[in-house]
Amino acid sequence: MFIARSEYDRGINTFSPEGRLFQVEYSLEAIKHGSTAIGVRYPGAQLLLTLSILTRLSLKQVATSEGVILGVEKRVQSTLLETSSVEKILEIDSHIGCAMSGLQADARSMIEHARVESQSHAFHYNEQLRVESCTQAICDLALRFGEGADGEESIMSRPFGVALLIAGVDEDGPQLYHAEPSGTFYRYDAKAIGSGSEGAQAELQNEYHKSLTLAEAETLVLKTLKQVMEEKLDAKNVQLASTTPGKGFRIYSDEEMAEVVGRLPSN
Amino acid sequence: MAFIHPSSLLPSSNPSYSFREGIKSSAPGIQEHRFSPYADNGGSTLGIAGKDFTIIAGDTRQSSGYSINTRYAPKVFRIGGDDDSGTGAKIILAVTGFAADGNALKERLDSMVKMYKYQHGKDISVKACAQRLATILYSKRFFPYYTQAILGGIDEEGVGALYSYDYVGSYEREQCRAVGAAASLIMPFLDNQVNLKNQYVPGSGVGHDLKAKAAEPLEQSHVEQLVRDAFSGAVERHIEVGDGLQMLIATKDGIREIYTPLKRD
Amino acid sequence: MVGFDFSNYNRNAALHAQGVPLPKATSTGTTIVGCIFDGGVVIAADTRATSGPIVADKNCEKLHYIAPQIWCAGAGTAADTEFTTALISSNLQLHALSTGRTPRVVTCMTMLKQHLFRYQGHIGAYLVVAGVDPTGVGLFTVHAHGSTDKLPYVTMGSGSMAAMAVFEANWKGTLTRDDAVKLCSEAILAGIFNDLGSGSNVDVCVITENKTTLLRNHIKPNERAQKERNYRFPRGTTAVLNEKIVTREELSKYVTVHELSSDDDVVVVEKMDVDG
Repeated sequence: MFIARSEYDRGINTFSPEGRLFQVEYSLEAIKHGSTAIGVRYPGAQLLLTLSILTRLSLKQVATSEGVILGVEKRVQSTLLETSSVEKILEIDSHIGCAMSGLQADARSMIEHARVESQSHAFHYNEQLRVESCTQAICDLALRFGEGADGEESIMSRPFGVALLIAGVDEDGPQLYHAEPSGTFYRYDAKAIGSGSEGAQAELQNEYHKSLTLAEAETLVLKTLKQVMEEKLDAKNVQLASTTPGKGFRIYSDEEMAEVVGRLPSN
Repeated sequence: MAFIHPSSLLPSSNPSYSFREGIKSSAPGIQEHRFSPYADNGGSTLGIAGKDFTIIAGDTRQSSGYSINTRYAPKVFRIGGDDDSGTGAKIILAVTGFAADGNALKERLDSMVKMYKYQHGKDISVKACAQRLATILYSKRFFPYYTQAILGGIDEEGVGALYSYDYVGSYEREQCRAVGAAASLIMPFLDNQVNLKNQYVPGSGVGHDLKAKAAEPLEQSHVEQLVRDAFSGAVERHIEVGDGLQMLIATKDGIREIYTPLKRD
Repeated sequence: MVGFDFSNYNRNAALHAQGVPLPKATSTGTTIVGCIFDGGVVIAADTRATSGPIVADKNCEKLHYIAPQIWCAGAGTAADTEFTTALISSNLQLHALSTGRTPRVVTCMTMLKQHLFRYQGHIGAYLVVAGVDPTGVGLFTVHAHGSTDKLPYVTMGSGSMAAMAVFEANWKGTLTRDDAVKLCSEAILAGIFNDLGSGSNVDVCVITENKTTLLRNHIKPNERAQKERNYRFPRGTTAVLNEKIVTREELSKYVTVHELSSDDDVVVVEKMDVDG
């Protein structure tokens, strides 16, 4: 099997006789070596703010306590490493952020693209880009490997080696998307990617329920990470971020991380 | 906000003299050639936003100089409809000035609104469409569309929305606006009848204590009558306005059209 | 004869060179026509006067009296057509008095062209001269630069193309009075509806050997539309910041004040229709 592959795994746009694009499949392998990243959408209790229903405008601002929590492990290989320089959760716009697993450098150009798309949309339409449109924009870029049309020069020599968990909030509420180098994306309630993804996904499958609160979601993300991490989890080697209708996308500060990690049951 | 006045773009209406230039001196034997890509096709439009509707209207005459090109060339368009007839559209665009640019602008905005729906899976809001129109206009900052646009529809709160533009994209949301050849005739009428400017409550005080009449949201039928009266008045005193009046009314149920004949002289 | 005062010419030219706009005269975008028939001549005009794109007068008179049997339709600069026809009318009357003969249309035409040629087109009068004199029926056009034409049917003004189209389609060598009136009216209507500079009503003047008939507003195809709303304001709607009452006694110091009785005729200069 491996021998047969070698004939078709060089050209990135060449299908194997079985109809597979090996370079794309290899890129998915690269993600499996990446650090674990987890996203959980918590529906929260539908907490209606009845304070100011009098005016039409405030009706739209009836808040729910729903949101999305992103969490990543930082894999601190050296005690000399400054952990704050490991950035695996990044902001795309005030209402969208993402966590990554795989080749971090590749993620930079994808996120740069998403940031430009988001700003461009706000400039042209005076409104925030939808989370799905943002994800679609990223996946459009992910497909630009191989030769360009009409023999034009290609910008990318290979598929990206990184997967993203995109968390954002728009008029349809908070959403979580998973985008792959193949250019496909799906929406999830909870999703794990990276080296520990198999175990983590199984854990999420068991623990996820439709009435998670913010605090429960934070705990679920950290607890799941803790189970699949090789190192012992502490406030320095994990990072959380939240996306909520009220505050948009926010990366947790050191103090907030310490608070959430402190809440974990110790064992 | 300083709206740029479009007359500086036009070739002078009086070929012998221009208002902005002094006497031109040209060296003998040197022929100056000029490219004049703009024309003024006359006509007038207006828009009024109500509490749950927006009416945008325009006359249907298209002229150049003293000639009538056609007695029926719509200046008011449905944006983002499902087909050529515009069914399913929720946004109205009206353009005066250079008709070719007006049509090009309409086609461009319409296609962008359709692309928006494909790309984002939802109908564009009037607010977003308004911003998009501004960026389209500004993208041609140094070779502008010679058109003055107004855009209307129903906003996300269900309230009538109306936006007016200068020809390079400066825009503003308003209650009412008259644009085009007879704008200076119609706008004071609208100020007085829609926003009740210069009207006071009789006997409410002496001198400066007199209370100004407060403007209230108008009924749709009332606004329709105002629009027809505004145009039948403009027709009397402006030679470029006439032939027919096209009124597009946006409500939560979509866009309805009313056509009324105007004087043809 | 009165001349023109050119003493401001140099000052105005200097101001214009510095960018001051020249004052604009009211130019009547117009349709005027004339047509001879067996035993007389008809001239006709629209009644719109414009200032740029604005209608200055919806019912002006463009048919000017020259002599009892000679009338003139004028296009171009309103003031020039009015003063030129009035001047020539006076001079023609003096000419008739000194010669003791009824004035001829050719004479009128010649005086007009010589006057206009002297001013090299600066007097913007474009005229249709028509009349009946002892030599017969006369119909001419006179251009601002002084050129003239003698034709059985003529048109001038911004609507001349539209009007001429009607003549070219329907004119015949033998026409009755009513035919000519109808043909001229239709030519004016073509101008009214197809030329933006022309509009409102049709004025017609029919001249025969022993009678001149001015048909003022012969056709009124552009009546004002009825307003849908009432625009009468309650008394007191307009703010009055201060008021001063001048009594009749005070006023009598400056002018003579008469009490009018109800059966006295009140002179109405021109009646305008107003809403309400």
